[in-house]
Amino acid sequence: MSDTTPLARGPVAVATPVVRDGWELDARVATGPLTLSDESPLAKVHVRAPFDGASRAALGVGLGRTARGDLGTGDVLVVGSGPGEWLVLGAPGTASALRASIEQRLARTGEFTTVLDLTHGRALLRLTGPTAARVLAGVCAIDFSDAVTPDGAALRTSLAAVVTDVVRDDRSGVPSYLLHVERSSGQYLADALLDAGRGSGLEMTGFRGLG
Amino acid sequence: MMLLPCPWCGPRNATEFRYVGEAGPRPDPASTTPEEWRRYLFMHANPCGPVKETWYHRAGCRRYLAVERDTATNEVRSAVDSATGVAR
Repeated sequence: MSDTTPLARGPVAVATPVVRDGWELDARVATGPLTLSDESPLAKVHVRAPFDGASRAALGVGLGRTARGDLGTGDVLVVGSGPGEWLVLGAPGTASALRASIEQRLARTGEFTTVLDLTHGRALLRLTGPTAARVLAGVCAIDFSDAVTPDGAALRTSLAAVVTDVVRDDRSGVPSYLLHVERSSGQYLADALLDAGRGSGLEMTGFRGLG
Repeated sequence: MMLLPCPWCGPRNATEFRYVGEAGPRPDPASTTPEEWRRYLFMHANPCGPVKETWYHRAGCRRYLAVERDTATNEVRSAVDSATGVAR
């Protein structure tokens, strides 16, 4: 019997596959300033809790904002994605530990909460570059200027007619947006963004991670 | 384009919402007659002017909103969360 190792794949087709942390990743490295990458291997944990209670204090962030921290499994990005909803992003392979750690922390609040691992059910894309906002403007009606959506802003809206959590998470001062959608919409959204960004030189690049 | 001022998300394109219908008191299913129940479900006043209605922000906060809107001008006088009363 042949040796079989579970292999997870992101929703966006890869050109030159490599395997890391049990995920098939794209090995491409774009050289241009405007890039799109599939960040689906990141652990994605969804939390529901009372909007303005002790759970919010335990998670360290409210609606529409993000915070980096450590919830017991290393560096994570906590996103206040909706009223009483949070999305926690962590390193690949940490989803189960992260879910258990958050559940344990929230149990101390005594509030009714639900913590779900959505890693394999959702797609996560990252659009990075000085003109990233212009690409988003092609598929979305939201004002992505710094005054309205600064670094650390989070909102849910319609992107190319797909309900998307948009998280502004700049990298070294360069505007960067994490786009979190249902997994089945991942390839479509990537194609729609590549189409909208064709004139700006948008290129696909490999997995980058949270760092 | 019509903008609706969501109390959680701010002004958003109306295409992000689902129109639920005119808001009104729900009859008690245990004591209401079939005629009254049908009237509640299917009959609407549809006025040309101010009306209280319910919208669902499906592409945003996923909350039901109580909106007071003028159907003649699309002016929105108030928009609050139906369950919590949160208003911007």
